Amino acid sequence: MVRDVAFGQYFPGKSLVHRLDPRAKILMFIAYIVIIFCTFNYAALAITSAFTALFLILSEISPKFYFKSLKVIIFIVLFTSLLNLFYGSGDPIWQWWVFKITYNGIHRAVFVTVRIISLILASSCLTFTTSPTELTDAIERLMRPLKLIRFPVHEVAMMMSLALRFVPTLLEETDKIMQAQKARGADMESGNLFKRVKALIPVLIPLFVSAFRRAYDVATAMECRCYRGGAGRTRMKQIHMTRRDVISFIVLALVIGGVILCNIFVNWSI
Amino acid sequence: MSCVLELKNISFVYGKGTPFEKRAVDNVSFKINKGEFIGVMGHTGSGKSTLMQMLNGLIRPSEGQVLLDGKDIWAEPKKIRSVRFKVGMVFQYPEYQLFEETVYKDIAFGPQNKGLEGDELDKAVREAADFTGLKPALLEKSPFDLSGGEKRRAAIAGVIAMDPEILVLDEPTAGLDPMGREVLLSQITRYHSERRNTVLLVSHTMEDIARVADRIIVMNKGKLAMLEPTAEVFRRGDELARYGLKVPQITKIMSELRKKGIDVPEGVLTVDDAFRALLPLLKKGGKLW
Amino acid sequence: MSFISIRNVFFSYDEVEEGKVVQNAVDGVSLDIESGEFVAVIGHNGCGKSTLAKHLNAMLLPDSGSVMIDGDDTSVEEKTFDIREKVGLVLQNPDNQLVAGIVEEDVAFGPENLGVEPAEIRRRVDKALKAVDMYEYRGHAPHKLSGGQKQRVAIAGILAIQPQCIVLDEPTAMLDPSGREEVISTLLKLNRERKLTVVLITHFMDEAVLADRVVVMDGGKILTQGTPQEVFSQVELLKAHRLDVPQSADLAYRLRGCGLKIDKIPLTQEECVAMLEEAMR
Repeated sequence: MVRDVAFGQYFPGKSLVHRLDPRAKILMFIAYIVIIFCTFNYAALAITSAFTALFLILSEISPKFYFKSLKVIIFIVLFTSLLNLFYGSGDPIWQWWVFKITYNGIHRAVFVTVRIISLILASSCLTFTTSPTELTDAIERLMRPLKLIRFPVHEVAMMMSLALRFVPTLLEETDKIMQAQKARGADMESGNLFKRVKALIPVLIPLFVSAFRRAYDVATAMECRCYRGGAGRTRMKQIHMTRRDVISFIVLALVIGGVILCNIFVNWSI
Repeated sequence: MSCVLELKNISFVYGKGTPFEKRAVDNVSFKINKGEFIGVMGHTGSGKSTLMQMLNGLIRPSEGQVLLDGKDIWAEPKKIRSVRFKVGMVFQYPEYQLFEETVYKDIAFGPQNKGLEGDELDKAVREAADFTGLKPALLEKSPFDLSGGEKRRAAIAGVIAMDPEILVLDEPTAGLDPMGREVLLSQITRYHSERRNTVLLVSHTMEDIARVADRIIVMNKGKLAMLEPTAEVFRRGDELARYGLKVPQITKIMSELRKKGIDVPEGVLTVDDAFRALLPLLKKGGKLW
Repeated sequence: MSFISIRNVFFSYDEVEEGKVVQNAVDGVSLDIESGEFVAVIGHNGCGKSTLAKHLNAMLLPDSGSVMIDGDDTSVEEKTFDIREKVGLVLQNPDNQLVAGIVEEDVAFGPENLGVEPAEIRRRVDKALKAVDMYEYRGHAPHKLSGGQKQRVAIAGILAIQPQCIVLDEPTAMLDPSGREEVISTLLKLNRERKLTVVLITHFMDEAVLADRVVVMDGGKILTQGTPQEVFSQVELLKAHRLDVPQSADLAYRLRGCGLKIDKIPLTQEECVAMLEEAMR
């Protein structure tokens, strides 16, 4: 069922990763994504993987949830790695019809798999350990310079946090509406693509209608609670950069340095 | 009487093999006869909703069999959709399922999926609308322009129009005001008495169940706690309270009187019954005219 | 002057509401509510009770007439937020009132909007969550809570604003019996222990019975009002408007019709048993 998805969930906790400044986490996450796509040899890949593992362990979240978030993308991983496996360059070591496997293909498949998995694990680690409010709060602060060009920073952040809040609610609702239409004999499991898309209409229309009704209600509730935009608002949870964050940045800097050194000195590149 | 629905040792386990494993329904067996009006009660989380969704194959039981007219509904899993037309299911707050351009088309969605066409379809839609008290003029309106109560009735009509052998209603009166509740309940009883179909009504409002049900299913912690004639269930008021259910005020008043040695019958469910029971006693005491 | 003073208020919706233009949703209502009172407003759907509720915190403004909150007129624009700080409104659907992904962050939303200092927000949030008995759930995600729990968090969200009055628009309509009981006992506690003014809009008579005063609305007007005792003794009037009465009152009323002498219509189980016992002797 749709609501079993672990990806994007938050698990409250007091681990080191939980206590990092969310701004630091977001910046590190961005740097990390760049660096995993700049790993061109196994030594570099080992360094980034070790870094990933370190953070997963420090997050003190059961590996079960990380596995669950990987389960969702298993097909994407398989598909892209197969694609890479069969479309490598160089001399084939095995060939059948249009499919050929080369050493280069195998390496590429390994790299792409590790990169996607790292990406998912890192983003899971970020959302598992950072509450949606912290996340949007941090984004709001990081984007603050954009206010100079009249970008509605607070509004965008508020919309993001509301969207995150209502994702599980709307997933539950989708489930409920699907069950109700199935109970009226709707056929959602068979037929060609066109028929299947058409079968979604009885689910999508009620979902939209209900989302609009909710939006209206939420707006009323927010007004009742004295909401009047970002001006003059304070936050209960203050975020500060601490020594923890500085140390994390140093570790990440070492990883980046390591990857660069590997790329320069290892005489092999994919 | 012929048995229309039989559950044999039904269980349902959520998240089997994970640390979250939970037995939502635990070894439930019962038989329901054709034309019966069954009330279903249970505290939130007692497993009654899961149980109901197993009756029309929306949820497949982990163990056990659901027999409809003597046949296992999961004998051919590919044909499970045909069971949905035999066991009509109205969910809680069913107005959220409306989607068509007109009320007419929305009510027709179910019977069309069943394969009805032309005059037959028209008749099914109009009869269903009539049972739920929707005026013909409303049928050409958009369902989104109806009032809350009308939406509810349109959604229920959409299930009734499939002419199911068994109609399951999950809290059909939730959120309605007393008058709306009253009207809807009388429409359901009219449907039951005219069509002579089996009806299962899930409700937290015992007063409502007391008025309409022949027998009552009480669920508690996933198990079948009671399946008895209505009066018998309410006679066991203390037991119901233990399952976290709220007995009608009048039932409690009468059982208090009994405990104080006043000779009133057990299991009084309505103000009418209480009034009729008290009248002769008070007359005898010379307290009335 | 009363804490809330409603004078001759009329209100019609301009826009089409669910296919009907609602003329005179509130049709000449005057009502005073004192500080510390627990008032229940009952009536059918569409009787104007929810529309009236939205007038109490300036979500709606009267077409004519006036609503004064603690001496401030709701139609004075500069006062809108002062009024919302004094009168909090809790709505029917608990899901749509919780705006943050974590319980405590949601409760903080109100004081954050008011620009309260972070340490003070923390204190208020903890206090509000304890008042509704949801402190242990402060780290939970709202969608994992039961209906009654969600509604109590919504109440805490209003309490954190530290209003003098809380208005609830059918807060129990979507809840199961145990959820209803949780919410109502929370409200009673807040009213009794903290002298919070409570205006409870409901169509459950067993909830109205617990109030200090019951106001019955029909067709946008006030039909009758008084103590629960006074209101529910008018069984005939209520039945004529197809409103429910507590079963004990109904029974007593019918017995009285047959000649039984009853001084006081019983509203609770205990009162009714005592009355019948007396009659049987």
